[in-house]
Amino acid sequence: MDKKYGVYICEGCGIAESLEVDALKSVAADEGRTAKTHPILCSPEGVDFLKKEIADGVNTLVLCACSRRVNYDTFRFDGCIVDRVNLREGVVWCHPRDKFPKLTEEEKTGGDAFDRVQMMAEDYLRMGMARVQKVALPEPFKLETTSEKILVIGGGVTGMSAALDAAKAGYDVTIVEKEDRLGGAALNWRSQLPVGDPYDKLIPPVIEEKIKAVQADPRITVRTSTMVARLAGQPGEFTVTFKKPGEKIQFDVPYPLPPEMLVDESGKELDAETLHKKYLEYNEGRADILTLDPDGELFGAVVLAAGWRPAKLEGDAYAHLGYGAIPDVVTNAEFEAIAKKGKIARPSDGKPAKSVVFIQSPGKDEDDSDFSYAGAVTSLVSLKQAKYVREDYEDGKSFVFYQHMRTPGLNENFYKSIQQDPGIFLTKGNVLSVAKGGGGLMIEATNTLLGEKLKVKADMVVLAAGMVPVTKDDPVVNMAYRQGPAFRDIDLFNGYCDSNFICFPYETQRTGIYAAGAVRRSMTTEEAMEDASGAALKAIQCITSVNRGVSVHPRSGDMTFPDFFFQRCTQCKRCTQECPFGALDDDAKGTPKPNPTRCRRCGTCMGACPERIIGFADYNIDSIGSMVKAINVPSEDDYSEPPMRVLGLVCENDAYPTLDIAALNKLSYSADVRLIPVRCLGSVNVIWIKDALSQGMDGVFLLGCKHGDDYQCHFVKGSELASIRMKKIGEALTSLALEVERVAQFEVAIDDYDKVPQIINDFVESIEALGPNPFKGF
Amino acid sequence: MSDSYLVEPDVGFIKEVIKLGGGDVKKCYQCATCSVVCPISPDTKPFPRKEMIATSWGLKDRLIGNGDIWLCHNCGDCSTYCPRGAKPGDVLAAVRAYAVTEYAVPKKLGKMVNDPKSLPILLAIPAVLILVVGFLCNVLFGVKWLNFAPGGDAIVHGNFFSTWLVDIIFIPTFLFAVGVFALGLKRFLADIHANAMMEGKTNKDNKEKIDPAGFIQALIRVLSTILQHKKFNECGENKERATPHMMVLFSFIALFIVTSIFFVALYVFGQHGPYSQLNPVKWLANLGGIALIIGSSLMIMQRLSKKDQVSSYKDWSLLGLVFGLGVTGMLAQLTRLGGLGGVSYFVYFIHLMFVWCLFAYTPYSKLAHLVYRTVAMAYQEYSGRK
Repeated sequence: MDKKYGVYICEGCGIAESLEVDALKSVAADEGRTAKTHPILCSPEGVDFLKKEIADGVNTLVLCACSRRVNYDTFRFDGCIVDRVNLREGVVWCHPRDKFPKLTEEEKTGGDAFDRVQMMAEDYLRMGMARVQKVALPEPFKLETTSEKILVIGGGVTGMSAALDAAKAGYDVTIVEKEDRLGGAALNWRSQLPVGDPYDKLIPPVIEEKIKAVQADPRITVRTSTMVARLAGQPGEFTVTFKKPGEKIQFDVPYPLPPEMLVDESGKELDAETLHKKYLEYNEGRADILTLDPDGELFGAVVLAAGWRPAKLEGDAYAHLGYGAIPDVVTNAEFEAIAKKGKIARPSDGKPAKSVVFIQSPGKDEDDSDFSYAGAVTSLVSLKQAKYVREDYEDGKSFVFYQHMRTPGLNENFYKSIQQDPGIFLTKGNVLSVAKGGGGLMIEATNTLLGEKLKVKADMVVLAAGMVPVTKDDPVVNMAYRQGPAFRDIDLFNGYCDSNFICFPYETQRTGIYAAGAVRRSMTTEEAMEDASGAALKAIQCITSVNRGVSVHPRSGDMTFPDFFFQRCTQCKRCTQECPFGALDDDAKGTPKPNPTRCRRCGTCMGACPERIIGFADYNIDSIGSMVKAINVPSEDDYSEPPMRVLGLVCENDAYPTLDIAALNKLSYSADVRLIPVRCLGSVNVIWIKDALSQGMDGVFLLGCKHGDDYQCHFVKGSELASIRMKKIGEALTSLALEVERVAQFEVAIDDYDKVPQIINDFVESIEALGPNPFKGF
Repeated sequence: MSDSYLVEPDVGFIKEVIKLGGGDVKKCYQCATCSVVCPISPDTKPFPRKEMIATSWGLKDRLIGNGDIWLCHNCGDCSTYCPRGAKPGDVLAAVRAYAVTEYAVPKKLGKMVNDPKSLPILLAIPAVLILVVGFLCNVLFGVKWLNFAPGGDAIVHGNFFSTWLVDIIFIPTFLFAVGVFALGLKRFLADIHANAMMEGKTNKDNKEKIDPAGFIQALIRVLSTILQHKKFNECGENKERATPHMMVLFSFIALFIVTSIFFVALYVFGQHGPYSQLNPVKWLANLGGIALIIGSSLMIMQRLSKKDQVSSYKDWSLLGLVFGLGVTGMLAQLTRLGGLGGVSYFVYFIHLMFVWCLFAYTPYSKLAHLVYRTVAMAYQEYSGRK
């Protein structure tokens, strides 16, 4: 593309009052660009003015106006490169003239005074002009063939609901179910919790209707007694090999080497060739992940609805409850099976169980935690099963001892209706023991609502074992990905396979694979059916993004994808290992094979690459590096007391919006910082920091999302990887005789707008205390 | 309290309380708002939260002998503020009704008093009693205690139903009621003391037995509280009920005094009624009668206007009786003065029936609170609970 540049300065929203527009124009002129002004660029007249410019041949526009986060649709011009220089939120609004006064006429002629705010605006203009020189218009990545079929793993209520929803939307669906019939866990229930208004009584399980609907739907193919041996390829062209459970086949997915096999006896890392040999030995009989099954079936996207299994109660922790030792102490799942068979009878002697105690929390000590994997569902199930006792026996009694009774949403109605039953007794309480006695069981509890230590006689005791997601035990999806067949690090979420639970429900760490139902969190049938719709829509969204060559969530519609300059690749594998989404599969030599539709365009690979050979059309090492270099760093040659220059690399997902909100609230921060938005802190390549410091900037900070166990990073690992890299850069700084404190990373949440100015100011102050960068002026 | 309490819910009890007006008890989720807003609950072991869980768990033994259910004056503040609509005020009223029938022997009669289906029988008893005893006396003793054709110019109720006949029936009835109360109270006092000791509601928990002198002193102190309706006036929601209640209470006292004086006048000084309207005792009688009618009417109106409060049979039957008593008493006098002989005699007969009901059924009805609440309040005063 032959770029024809144009620079446009908006004078509205306080920009012209605060800044010297003519001085800005001359900055543009210094770079050989003519800047034009408009009173309100986003007005219809302003847009017409820009359109006319485009009609006259301009195709690369630098718009000095508001933040790129607003008016993005107004300033989108197809076929043009547009850069938004953020003068409004980034300069004017957060640096009001009463706090950052303009120069007086006297100072202007004096020579040694400077206007920090004007300097900031001019730098941002330079940076914008530098960037547009280095970026290109993106072109979409399109697969040769795109399958629009959806694979649903799991034939339970969630899987079948997802399949029905997707089929209704016009997509062909295949359900794989490892058991020999559809239905899943719900097949074992006597009754189920309500799924609709008025939510106040038990209903017959909805599963039979679902099965009928699935069997009647011509778009749905059902494969029972089947599991996924491997899922290779990428969204839009997943190649799936099915097998019977227990079978061993060539296309069973290979596993990566465990960490202890990656090093030799002395603990040294093995070279790529040896590793590959070991890997082949380790996975003997299984084809490598890059070998595609010629008979595999193609799918566009996957809904993972593999469900849950009842938690096993093992070990001494539950000895006081008699589980395992006393046959009449059972789990909720076991009790459900008894109830399904007929009237509730004691397992020990088959006599009617007319008094049943439901224990929601193991109790004993002061600890008030519930059984692991328990939650709202186990609370509701205890109420459901308490009702069974009352259904079966006129004189039946049910006792529920809980530490937490969770009946969210309209399930409150169900709770209320159960509470109304005169034979059901609920209390918070700490269960001390379950023992045999008085022809049955004796349960002792303390700290109850009745205010004292009490005993209850019972025929049976039911323990609220939780719902364990099957992904805790098994990879299930069996992805032929270099990072392994399972979701990574899901032990952080106790085996649930979400990637960013709050922000992106259904998203897993693997693009194109969407989780729904109990594999995501424990949920009721009703919630699972709703969840299924969400995941089905996500799968459809994925297919319709892939077939247009654009990114799925969270950078929906992004047309760029990482481009590798392979000639300079040193096979260090960092990109393959660090990609949060497992988008890269390296070959036997260690050369990465990109799978663009698996990619979410976070740029973590770009940040990782020591050779700097990875970049995007509009976001690359050079584009950001040039912006850094475009910043003017005044030295003592310019002013007797030159201002500090601090670079801030700001995550555009949460941190950049936070700064915009701060500006909107007229909160101000130091005018000596220069901020550059980045896709994710994971995409920050240390070369930018080195460049900034070597050109005399006094400090660099990274502003991004929270990382760690309860991370908020949109790309799971970005801010965490950045923090690791920042630790390493410290060593490099020391060798250059620069203080490690000159580089820092801060965490902000999107609602931290009131804190972020302080964070920036504190850092600038700490840099001022260190004094100017000794490299300044060289 | 290291021994565990064996919980054995009595579902029948729960169903009974629900029938007696505590139908919302199971809605309670134990937030204790009721105990917090209750204006008259003590600070230590406040009610009615613990009574609510005990009721919904069917723990009869925790409630019947629990003095706290009687400390409650059914202010209704708890019911108004209850976030779940469990109406603790009405639940406690229902539990009280149940407790009354537990302490009053024979229990069968207690059941009947609380069962609307038994009302015709209960009303027939005094009518039959008066007629049969009167007839028998006439026949056996040759007297004219029951005289359907009383002669003379003046209308004298005593000529219709002789005071001898009335007293021969009513005095034993009164003594019967006192006896039933005495039997009930003996157990009641022992129970509330045991309950208070167990729940730690008294600072006298080192004593197995109640000290009679201390208790009497406490009773005397409490009587002034009751007469002034001090507790009732602390209520928020049902405060307006305090005045009519006070009118009814004082009218009963006034009428009791009047009856006693005329009793003495009749049997000691041989002065027969009817007495002159100028007699100061008569003034007191008329004042009491008017207060009874107005007080009970107000209470009926207030119950009718309070849609959010449960009013069950136990409430209506007592209010009906009290109102009926006042109205028939007054009407009997007015018709007598107005010279409507036949009407007057008939109304007097109804009045006598009501009076008998009042005497006989008090230990089984809501009116028993007169005794149980007084004793419970006295015990509370005695126990030194804060």
